[in-house]
Amino acid sequence: MEVALMGRRAGVVKPELFATRKLGLVESGRTGSRVDRIRFDPATGRGRKGAVKMARSGVRSEMAVREAELNAPKKSTGPVRLFVGLPLDAVSDCNAVNHAKAIAAGLRALKLLGAQGVELPVWWGVAAAGEWSAYLALADMVRDAGLRLRVSLHLHASRRPAFPLPDWVSRLADANPDLLFTDRSGRRRQDCLSLAVDNLPVLDGKTPLQAFEEFFRSFRSAFSDFIGSTITDISVSLGPNGELRYPSFPPSTGSHLFTGVGEFQCYDKYMLADLKRHAEESGNPLWGLSGPHNAPEYDQSPDSGNFFRENGGSWETPYGNFFLSWYSGQLLSHGDRMLSTASKVFGDLPVTLSAKVPLLPWWHDTRSRPAQLTAGFYNTYGRDGYDAVGEMFARNSCAMIIPGMDLLGKEQPHGLRSSPESLLSQIMKACEKHGVRVSGENSSLDGIGVEGFRRIKEILSAENSSVDSFTYHRMGAFFFSPEHWPLFMEFVRSMAQSEMDSDDLPSNKEEKLSLSVDREMQAA
Amino acid sequence: MSIVRWRPVLHQPPRENPRFPPHELRRSKVLCPIHYRKPFFPASRGLSNSYARKALRIVRAGLAPTPSLADAAETDVLFSETFPLKRTQTVEGKISVRLDPAEGEGSRWRLAVGCNLEGKWVLHWGVTYCDDLGSEWDQPPPEMRPPGSIPIKDYAIETPLKNSSSALKGQILHEVHIDFDSNSPIAAIHFVLKEEETGAWFQHKGRDFKISLKDFIEEENTSSGKQGFDIWIGAFDQISSLLVNAEGSSSKPQEAVGEAKVTKRQNKRIQGFYEEYSLLKEEFVQNFMTVTVRKSDESDKNIVQFDTDMPGDVVVHWGVCRDNGKNWEIPPAPHPPATKIFRRKALQTLLQPKRNGLGNWGLFLLDKGISGVLFVLKLNEYIWLNNMGTDFYIPLTSASSSSIQTCQDSIANEQLTWTEPQDMRHSSNNDETNQAVDHAADTDEIIYEIRNLVTDISSGKGRSTKSKEAQENILQEIEKLAAEAYSIFRSSIPNFVEEYVSDAQYLKPAVKLCPGTGSGFEILCQGFNWESHKSGRWYSELSAKAKELSSLGFTIIWLPPPTESVSPEGYMPKDLYNLNSRYGSKEQLKDLVKRFHEVNIKVLGDAVLNHRCAHYQNQNGIWNIFGGHLNWDDRAIVADDPHFQGRGNKSSGDNFHAAPNIDHSQEFVRNDLKEWLCWLRKEVGYDGWRLDFVRGFWGGYVKDYLEASEPYFAVGEYWDSLSYTYGEMDHNQDAHRQRIIDWINATNGTAGAFDVTTKGILHTALGKCEYWRLSDQKGKPPGVVGWWPSRAVTFIENHDTGSTQGHWRFPSGKEMQGYAYILTHPGTPAVFYDHIFSHHQQEISRLISLRRQKKIHCRSKDNQGREGSVRS
Repeated sequence: MEVALMGRRAGVVKPELFATRKLGLVESGRTGSRVDRIRFDPATGRGRKGAVKMARSGVRSEMAVREAELNAPKKSTGPVRLFVGLPLDAVSDCNAVNHAKAIAAGLRALKLLGAQGVELPVWWGVAAAGEWSAYLALADMVRDAGLRLRVSLHLHASRRPAFPLPDWVSRLADANPDLLFTDRSGRRRQDCLSLAVDNLPVLDGKTPLQAFEEFFRSFRSAFSDFIGSTITDISVSLGPNGELRYPSFPPSTGSHLFTGVGEFQCYDKYMLADLKRHAEESGNPLWGLSGPHNAPEYDQSPDSGNFFRENGGSWETPYGNFFLSWYSGQLLSHGDRMLSTASKVFGDLPVTLSAKVPLLPWWHDTRSRPAQLTAGFYNTYGRDGYDAVGEMFARNSCAMIIPGMDLLGKEQPHGLRSSPESLLSQIMKACEKHGVRVSGENSSLDGIGVEGFRRIKEILSAENSSVDSFTYHRMGAFFFSPEHWPLFMEFVRSMAQSEMDSDDLPSNKEEKLSLSVDREMQAA
Repeated sequence: MSIVRWRPVLHQPPRENPRFPPHELRRSKVLCPIHYRKPFFPASRGLSNSYARKALRIVRAGLAPTPSLADAAETDVLFSETFPLKRTQTVEGKISVRLDPAEGEGSRWRLAVGCNLEGKWVLHWGVTYCDDLGSEWDQPPPEMRPPGSIPIKDYAIETPLKNSSSALKGQILHEVHIDFDSNSPIAAIHFVLKEEETGAWFQHKGRDFKISLKDFIEEENTSSGKQGFDIWIGAFDQISSLLVNAEGSSSKPQEAVGEAKVTKRQNKRIQGFYEEYSLLKEEFVQNFMTVTVRKSDESDKNIVQFDTDMPGDVVVHWGVCRDNGKNWEIPPAPHPPATKIFRRKALQTLLQPKRNGLGNWGLFLLDKGISGVLFVLKLNEYIWLNNMGTDFYIPLTSASSSSIQTCQDSIANEQLTWTEPQDMRHSSNNDETNQAVDHAADTDEIIYEIRNLVTDISSGKGRSTKSKEAQENILQEIEKLAAEAYSIFRSSIPNFVEEYVSDAQYLKPAVKLCPGTGSGFEILCQGFNWESHKSGRWYSELSAKAKELSSLGFTIIWLPPPTESVSPEGYMPKDLYNLNSRYGSKEQLKDLVKRFHEVNIKVLGDAVLNHRCAHYQNQNGIWNIFGGHLNWDDRAIVADDPHFQGRGNKSSGDNFHAAPNIDHSQEFVRNDLKEWLCWLRKEVGYDGWRLDFVRGFWGGYVKDYLEASEPYFAVGEYWDSLSYTYGEMDHNQDAHRQRIIDWINATNGTAGAFDVTTKGILHTALGKCEYWRLSDQKGKPPGVVGWWPSRAVTFIENHDTGSTQGHWRFPSGKEMQGYAYILTHPGTPAVFYDHIFSHHQQEISRLISLRRQKKIHCRSKDNQGREGSVRS
């Protein structure tokens, strides 16, 4: 009730009262230094979590902005839950548990280190037939290790390790390649079904959405014993690479390797048909004949072709606005459809539903921001493309997974006009505005070093951080290697137990014993 | 699921004497003669060791002794068994490494390695020389070897550590000094420590200790502030790595568990350094536990008596079972005093101290319906004892059915054999479950401990020292687990990032080994197929894959012919200086080469030297006048092909009839071609060549070209047919390979050649499963690789044989067998584009990573790959 009251008051209070909010935080910050307050807690108290949720929904229903923090300085006390991703092929494409011994040892190490749990990638291509035994075996291992599980339901295909779409889907796509995203040169993307067919009965009479829903339900019934206890989070894949995006990267590379401007992916016949219809409705039928003809190729500079040209490029023209609105709008509605399907299946469960949004910092420092445009985010200079995304997530009560929290502008290759920090803060602001919880991830194992960890720590311990969990990718040989593991351990320990050996302990015992045992365990 | 923490009891139950007096220390037979003499990296040793322990598991270990009928006098004793309990105590010491200038002499330096723990310490060491590419050790020059050194094979020295004179009173210090001259061409000294008595090896974070001398001295000269020496600290700071537990034969063997806690105390003197590494050694302490089962006065009960000389708190973590399945159950109440129920799955009973203070005992009263008691012992949060990897098992039904028991005995006897580790993994689910349960319990205990520790901190700072210790222990545990996980992951999946980095160091050619063969560790990728020209932007597309190719382990990529060409694939070159082709523009090509260089991949250009298409017709309408920068006329064309009416000399090789064959015998042609190749190297950045159709001209000209253009790597395509008799391939393909060898010889060994012989033999050997073909009369590989491995570029497919042409396709479905062959054999293996970007990718990359791990190179002795011998 109190929350609702606060929320209503919030409706009156203007966001300008930033200072007030800060003050509130300072007061609540009795636990000492900032680092002390933020930590990974292996056992988030249920009560606290509940409170956070309430506060959030209060805010959302009132369309209020930031005042949630007034009564719920949650982030200043709520620890960030740390997950570590299991290997992508923890269950192999033959549906068998891979690396079981290594994972078992890894799970124990993580448990001892105080991690909340692990993330389990589940592939549609592997489990579409409803054969869950290998995944269940892994979930058992996780439960036995006393860890929590966040499950990622991957509905896309992966190149390496190779996880194709389910056989029957691939066969249908072979027969009708237009089911797949297609680029200007007509190359089909094996990654993912085109979003234009979401609601078309193209899969043996079923729509892709129906197929996904079936898959979700199959998962739900197979894992009912785990959900809510071991499984605390479920994330669903919204597109290529598991992210809400178009596969704007070249067909031959993975998305994470690609830093070019990319290409629009609206050339399968269903997308083109929709574009045509949309153009006709808007009174410019000529605009609907194809995608932008003057956009550069994947790897070309934004200045080749006139579309993304910094000044006077087509993106700024009425045509550009028409096309980009349509293109990004399609992506948003797709996300909305997917998330509401997911909440239809999982909404009543005591789990956090989440989905991933890509971080595309390359060319963010230009006016047209082509990498974001081709991926489907109409986020040009002066136009906030992520606000609508945040709103869409809020509408579906879904947390947003944002990768790339380790990226630093100064470490980005020169000439890419990359600005990960400012893009990240833009997206996080949108989340904050709509009361969407954020779940962080690092971009990839390759580059993470001391600086990357420092950056993550900085984000997680920021005062107004809406990050409530962080998933570190990904367990494997490099993860445990002597080059990497000590860094990771240091990172976790500095988050979790910085106070363990220091003299200036905060006085409040409850607050500092973050590394406590699960309630159940104590009871046992 | 191996559990590191569990220090298993390594001794067999003393079967021959069931009434064994519990307090007598007895030398039991040691069942573990496994010595890991080979210094693997320790994590994996820990792993294999745990396998070894599992292998020792004896089926129904506790069952063996049955009361003999002669014991009738004591009819109430149904069962008695004494188990040896071995646990460990940790002794901490340190290894010190000191590098000092020797007194008096300017360039003399001294490396001192010391250890302050009791034991027979031996330094196992070697050096690498500055010009040595590999990671292999070499033996140090004789003047460097301290007295008493023993050479080990041809790559290492073992020098015992001596009791040091410099040690203070009451302190042990074993030390060895190595004196050397800083002007000698030694790049680094590598060593590991060995404790002779136990056979335990001590490495540094899973690697050799490495003292980099060259860097040090160079750094010193340039007086840069950087730390010059290079002890590999990359690994788990502060924490031990797993080290081998090789068991000695003494009754009190010591077990080395690891060096722990790198004390990074570098006394940065102006010259030299001093560093200490903590060392944890574990000693075994032996105790016994006797379990006796008696009939109770209450007729339906059995009394189980536990009696041990183990001091301190001893908790029996136990359950019962009602059938032979050994499923843990909790017996019905009442339970013995001081019993807790643990997670509804087991009981934990604290034994009572004996009155004389020498141990503990307890009595459990159990129903007759119970067929056995399963237990393990818990000494504290960290130390649990079990029976050689399994639970202790006490049968309770033997009395009522002694005949059956005897029968089971003999079975048990038979089963007292060593079991293969693989079998153990498939052992009954019950075991697995129990282990899993206990394993979770173990973890929980430790977490419980963490919590206590936190409470300790808050309740008083006075105890912080203790909790710090506990914290250290937990961290150690974490490190061990991580090391275990690392070793398994590392061995099971190709680890691109890590291995790439380390291998790259070896692959840097400090000196040119031999012209045209690269470092010897090259792995080649053919970066295109017959269709690649179709997109018109192959260079950009391939560029996007550069990083991936690099991470897959390739060191060289072969790009398609770059010049203007009559056929889109590029093999009908026209203007050699026009580098705009169907694969992309010259600029894109240069970018691509640059990109590959960024990811440390060398680039081969496909040089078509045999023939060239003309620009113009002569007065007879024959196309034999060239244009462009090299505007030759018909004098540059061989005379013996009537189609093109060349006016040069006769061809020095076979003719390619689709285009004018170039007459290499003429100096102006050769000069032009040399200039062209040098231009390509400079302009495009190519590192070497793949030479098309070298059958068409004499190998001696190739030598000319290669000496002029100095490629890092060059390989020629000398492709002709193998020998067949009545359609059946001959076993002896010596003539075929001889022709290829002859060509290589003609180039004076400046180029290698594709091993067509091996491909051909693999076709038949794998296609028809005629594996006998894989060995020639002398037991060597039957292809070029068997005769001149460093010049053989093995492959199974290329754009001609496979792709969409399929002129001589490798037997379908056998591709991986083919790659398994070439990637584990000497020679330089080449992987075809279509294969690496196919469903074979993962398997191929595993093989590549294996090849790199095992450091197989083009001159490796055959078999090396299969033996998999590695040395640190």
